[in-house]
Amino acid sequence: MLASMGIPFVLSAVFGVAAPRFARRLPPAVATWLLSVGGLVSAAGCAVVLALLGFTLIGQSPLLAAQGHWSGGALRRADPIPVPVAFLAVVLLVALAVRFALAAVRRLRALREAYALAAALPAAGGELAVIDDPGLQAYAVPGRPGRIVVSTGLIRALDVDQRRAVLAHERAHLTHGHHWHHSLGQLAAAANPLLHRVRGAIALATERWADEDAATTCRRDTVADALTRAATAGTRMPTPVALLAVAATDVLGRVTALRAPAPRLTLWRVTTLVALVAATAAAVLLAEHDTERLFELAQAAYRASRPQPE
Amino acid sequence: MGRALAVGATVSRRRESGGLESEVLALLWSAEASLTTAEVVEALGGDLAYTTVQTILTRLHQKGAVQREQAGRAHAYTPVLDEAGLAANRMRAVLDRGGDHTAVLARFLGTLSPDEEQVLSQLINRPKSTGGGR
Repeated sequence: MLASMGIPFVLSAVFGVAAPRFARRLPPAVATWLLSVGGLVSAAGCAVVLALLGFTLIGQSPLLAAQGHWSGGALRRADPIPVPVAFLAVVLLVALAVRFALAAVRRLRALREAYALAAALPAAGGELAVIDDPGLQAYAVPGRPGRIVVSTGLIRALDVDQRRAVLAHERAHLTHGHHWHHSLGQLAAAANPLLHRVRGAIALATERWADEDAATTCRRDTVADALTRAATAGTRMPTPVALLAVAATDVLGRVTALRAPAPRLTLWRVTTLVALVAATAAAVLLAEHDTERLFELAQAAYRASRPQPE
Repeated sequence: MGRALAVGATVSRRRESGGLESEVLALLWSAEASLTTAEVVEALGGDLAYTTVQTILTRLHQKGAVQREQAGRAHAYTPVLDEAGLAANRMRAVLDRGGDHTAVLARFLGTLSPDEEQVLSQLINRPKSTGGGR
């Protein structure tokens, strides 16, 4: 039982390291989905196991034992989980739950603000809102509908084809709902620190996804040129530090990827990641099953210790 | 290799999306002076029908995104500035606050270290014929 409880953490740690590496070599759309859904399963699985571990200790309290009609003493005797481990699980679970809740509130607030901004931008241009700013800016603002914001500085720094590439890139962010993937990554990393690299990997994978999407409406080289021009053209806005941390989108890596052919689906990478996630889920189910058996044992002991009513 | 083919196939894809309106608007913003419909058609690459562009320009004008003046027998279009200035201020305010608020906005641009910038400028300076890479 101790083993089945430990396996999800090991698998989660492996996923947290392997997935971001594999993601760079996969088609970015596939990579994004693997990272965000895999991260979700991984984080949820570890949280469930922490709760199970903790409950083997908390369940021994007389109050809960009486409520659930099981014997606290029998549970203590049969429980293979050392008390310090179970205690640590409770502490961790509480701390991570707080982290998760804070991240969720922050994320919700940011999303709401983005929606408000999208609605407040001048509607005359349709999806595009041009801002009169000499700096180089291009953003996708999620909302209903989502909007694309481009500065006059950027528009003037690029030629017709490069502008088309930038617009297609930002449009891809909106049509594929990349902000939802970002949200999943952020929440998964908050709930499970073993996944802290997954968050940045999702940010990068969605940028690559939007690049590849733009490359279906114009030449790959044009997207690479636009990216290069935008990143190297003279007057760059100072980037807020907080933004850097999240959206350190590796321009050089993206340009290099665009100069090469589109990445092909490598089956072994996908299979490995899917297997990791599936194994995590299976181990969690096993741990759940083991815990249930333990409590069934304690319930049997409870029934045996009481005089039968008849 | 199959590049010419790929370009031909993607042109139609672009046309279906509502992105043409954005392209026209961005083009007007990039121009120094006002542009006539014919000039817009030419600048966008020439494979667009004149009437398509005319329809888009009329729609943009009706929505107030562009203004037009008589230029000979045709209209010449310029983008409307006022609202764009306001939007810029609002954007700037959100960006300046930083943190999670800006994390939601997906950006095209990235940031570069000086080393990376040098590598990139070498990539640009490479002759175009071999620029396609492997």
